[in-house]
Amino acid sequence: MDFPLSFWDISLFLAVTAIILLVTSELLSPYYGKTNLTINKKRLRNVALASSTLFLVTVAIKIVTIIISP
Amino acid sequence: MRAKFSLTPIGITVLALLLLGAVSLTVSLGYDSSILAFIGLGLIFWGAVLLYIKPEASVSETLLEATLSPSLTTLNQMIQDLGYKGDATYLPPKYFANPDTTKIYISKYRHTSLPTPELIQPYENQTVTRTTEGLLTTPPGIQLSKLMEKSLGTAFIKTELKDLEQKLPKIVIEDLEIAENIEIQEENNQTKTKENPAVPSIETRNITIHAKITKPIYKDVFKDDDSSQIAGTIGSPVCSAIAIALTRATGKPVRITNIRSSEDGNTIEATYMIIEG
Repeated sequence: MDFPLSFWDISLFLAVTAIILLVTSELLSPYYGKTNLTINKKRLRNVALASSTLFLVTVAIKIVTIIISP
Repeated sequence: MRAKFSLTPIGITVLALLLLGAVSLTVSLGYDSSILAFIGLGLIFWGAVLLYIKPEASVSETLLEATLSPSLTTLNQMIQDLGYKGDATYLPPKYFANPDTTKIYISKYRHTSLPTPELIQPYENQTVTRTTEGLLTTPPGIQLSKLMEKSLGTAFIKTELKDLEQKLPKIVIEDLEIAENIEIQEENNQTKTKENPAVPSIETRNITIHAKITKPIYKDVFKDDDSSQIAGTIGSPVCSAIAIALTRATGKPVRITNIRSSEDGNTIEATYMIIEG
């Protein structure tokens, strides 16, 4: 019973969620308008940054794997 | 502080997302289905994100203004009844033994000089001090200025005026969200005062700071009485907090010389004068 998702699948998932979260975070920023939504915008930004960093880490791992593989 | 999980609409949504996600992920393992795994992972992820970013306890602006308004009215009535008609000056930390103290001094009459720190220090721990020359009291923006200081990460007394001018918009707009926008402009003024014709005029250089605040909180707090002394020279808690920040950063007394509010109350323009010497 293996996990059905590959490393690349997880990377794709992270990329899509990171884009959604980053765009949402930017649209909810106090500088651009929609400020009356009472969610914790700082935490949303942190989650967006964390998921985009994780995606970049997966990309870096893949690049390293390609370079070191014979 | 740990987030409390309660059965509010958001709580129910989070619980549903997490449960469905867990079921979908478990089923995906049994059937070896990558689509179900994606759905499960997505539901768990968004459930966790929603739980993490869910709103903190918030109070409506109208309620805030309604609760603050009586204390400001009382302060205003007290100043009027006691007959202190002079300018309100925010005193810097050098006037107090404890550098964390900030008070406003309202003189009995207009255009009188400030008292010396030695005269102020014995009364710094009292909430309101009344003398024949002036009234010493706590400004309405004191707690807000402490929150601003906390957001800044350092005490205002350790900050330069230029730094403060650059960092204040971020604190007000982004960190505390107490206004939609704030524009700060500095102006250097040279004024000549000649009180006695026998002596040469004294040239003083005052720094004037103009702050244009868009959609601040407490904007309607003086809606009923915008000609009061508090509305004119002490300012709303937001204007007062900015005055405290300026007096603590410069180490010089600060006066609010002008407060103008737009008709709809959405824009407030305040002029602060940093008194030299």
